[in-house]
Amino acid sequence: MGESSTKRGLSVGQKQHVAGWFFLTPATILITIMSFYPMIQAFITSLKTGSSANLVWTKPIFHNYTRMFSDGLFIRSIGNTFLYLIVEVPIMLVLAILLAQILNNKDLKFRGFFRTCVFLPCATSLVSYSLIFKSLFATDGLINHILVKIGILESNYNFLGTSSSAKVVIILALIWRWTGYNMVFYLAGLQNIEYSVYEAAKIDGANGWKTFWHITVPLLKPTIIMTFIMSINGTLQLFDESVNLTKGGPANTTITMSHYIYNNSFGQGVANFGYASAMSFFVFVLVAVLAAINLKVGDSRD
Amino acid sequence: MMKKKVVSVLLASAMVASLAACGTGEGSASKGSSEKKAKKVDVTKEDKNTLSVYAWDKNFNIPALKAAEKAYQKKNPKFKLNIIEQSQSSDVETAITTAGSAGDFSTLPDIVLFQDHYIQKYVTDYPKAWINVDDADIDWKDFGEEKVSYSTIKGKHYGVPVDNGTVVFAYRVDLLEKCGYTLDDVTGITWDKFIEIGEKVHKETGKYLLSMDGDGNDLPYMMLQAEGASQFKDGKAYITDNKKLVEVINKIVEMKKKDVLYLANDWSDYTDQTIIGDKVAGVMNGNWIIPTIEQVKENEGKWEITSMPTLSGEEGYASNGGSSLYITSNCRKADLAKDFLAYTFGGGEGSQDTYDNALKDGGVITTCISAGKSEVYNEGVKYFKDQAIYSKIVEMGSHVKVVEQSDFHYTCREQIAAAIQNILNGTDTKTALKDAEKQLKFSMEK
Repeated sequence: MGESSTKRGLSVGQKQHVAGWFFLTPATILITIMSFYPMIQAFITSLKTGSSANLVWTKPIFHNYTRMFSDGLFIRSIGNTFLYLIVEVPIMLVLAILLAQILNNKDLKFRGFFRTCVFLPCATSLVSYSLIFKSLFATDGLINHILVKIGILESNYNFLGTSSSAKVVIILALIWRWTGYNMVFYLAGLQNIEYSVYEAAKIDGANGWKTFWHITVPLLKPTIIMTFIMSINGTLQLFDESVNLTKGGPANTTITMSHYIYNNSFGQGVANFGYASAMSFFVFVLVAVLAAINLKVGDSRD
Repeated sequence: MMKKKVVSVLLASAMVASLAACGTGEGSASKGSSEKKAKKVDVTKEDKNTLSVYAWDKNFNIPALKAAEKAYQKKNPKFKLNIIEQSQSSDVETAITTAGSAGDFSTLPDIVLFQDHYIQKYVTDYPKAWINVDDADIDWKDFGEEKVSYSTIKGKHYGVPVDNGTVVFAYRVDLLEKCGYTLDDVTGITWDKFIEIGEKVHKETGKYLLSMDGDGNDLPYMMLQAEGASQFKDGKAYITDNKKLVEVINKIVEMKKKDVLYLANDWSDYTDQTIIGDKVAGVMNGNWIIPTIEQVKENEGKWEITSMPTLSGEEGYASNGGSSLYITSNCRKADLAKDFLAYTFGGGEGSQDTYDNALKDGGVITTCISAGKSEVYNEGVKYFKDQAIYSKIVEMGSHVKVVEQSDFHYTCREQIAAAIQNILNGTDTKTALKDAEKQLKFSMEK
């Protein structure tokens, strides 16, 4: 390199650099205008209060940030979101990996059909599937009908009107909607594992369980970490299910962070943009911290 | 192999292209339809006899506006009202929020229809978005005092009333009779007596005497207003120390526990399952609920309306919901707008025509006392056993007491609804209300 830079004009390396930056520029400019600039603006807004026509700086300057921790409803929305996260993500990922393992079996007939079936929920729109779940679990809906008919329930149960069962319904809905999506990543990951590795393991006398833990899981690690981060990120921003399935109710016991932020900026005639932006930044920090921990834990390099 | 690929790529691109065409096709179709070209207006391009207005319900308030346009054309034959339909009332609120936040009001129409419970907050938050109508030729005393109190901000009149939110209590008199009661037996009674009757009705007919949306519970507000009390005092939340409110909430809890009241999960459950689903023997809400009741065709002639029960047993009157017309600061023909509003909805010469046709075409009931005395208002309604419900509603509306309003009306409603849910789930009343008050106070501080 040192030798070539003494020549006149641009060296090959420099030319590559220029070309690289040239190709990067449009994306960089767009991402700056569309993402970074609004982020900075949102941060500035988060330090202000008042109606959106007349925003003034808060006193003290981080008032919106301290305020949210004395907001019982916001604390509850954090609790709910993390409950969904802790219960739903592990169940969903384990299911996804098991389904991927089963559907990766070379001897399975109608593999393509089953794969499509598992992935199909992902093709439905968030709003419509939420509404379908809502009508399924309605007080005079299908699920109640079946449970009463086979004698598990005595009379119709108000699933969405009781806070514990409403949370369960949300988690069920999430699992139904997102398992197939994660399974596709695992399937892709599994297909990258050489079949000979499994053959070697078989010859060495490893059973299915051992093969799964000692071969499949380590080799799938990058995929697992990626799906984990995506799921955490997605769950922390959970919005559609809370809005459409339960409207955050009953009595705001199933509300998620994003839903509460939305309510504060666009709901019920309140336009509390400053406070809502501050809460959004809190969610942003949470996602960043969780992703960082995840990456550190999953990093195999020393 | 190669051929197969080419074919599938072609098929896929054909599909994408045709779907994309769908999108544009739909767009041009709506452009061509008789509806106005766009949902946005540019008031600078209007001629001097045209006004534009935002409204949202083509079965309710839009016919009322059309009636007003026709009435005003008698005075000014060149007059045109450009009614721009919004899909819901919150679209109008969003339009004001957006314009107000940007400080650019040029996107607004001349006049907007606006919900009464929201207007105080929007005038406070975006004072530059409105033109007051204080100098319009309107006799404000000819309107229900309570209705006008919403659109009066700091002593200035900002809006002209359109519809009427007077609460009606509609009963299935056939079911009441089955249980041995008449309409008189449920008029001017205490809530305790109401609960007694409700229990009997549920036992004998399986129907609830009252239902409500559990998450957006309007009951506490209406019941409290009938007592002449408010959930706010001197601009502050007034809940735990408010004996009347505590009593009202106890009654609601008792009603629910004794199967007199059914609390639906949300608004659409309330209207679709309980009212249209024919689960109830009584409906209490703003009179705009009447078209919902009327959707059950087979119950024609079985309903009648009356006033609300109260704690003391007097006849109760309250109001819930409703909207008024407001002139935005983008209006360059404020004089025409004021004259139009005064002449039609404001009780002027054209008000009889306006309100009669608004009632006939849209079921919009006035709060204008003189307009409510016309023949149309005194006609019996078949669905309600030929009772002259409209004149009755106007009459009831004049008794509604003015109570303290707040910008945080809906926040309060939500918190009280949550408290009721919590009490029903076993929290004791004091703690639940304390929590509600704390959360409400929290939302109210800046």
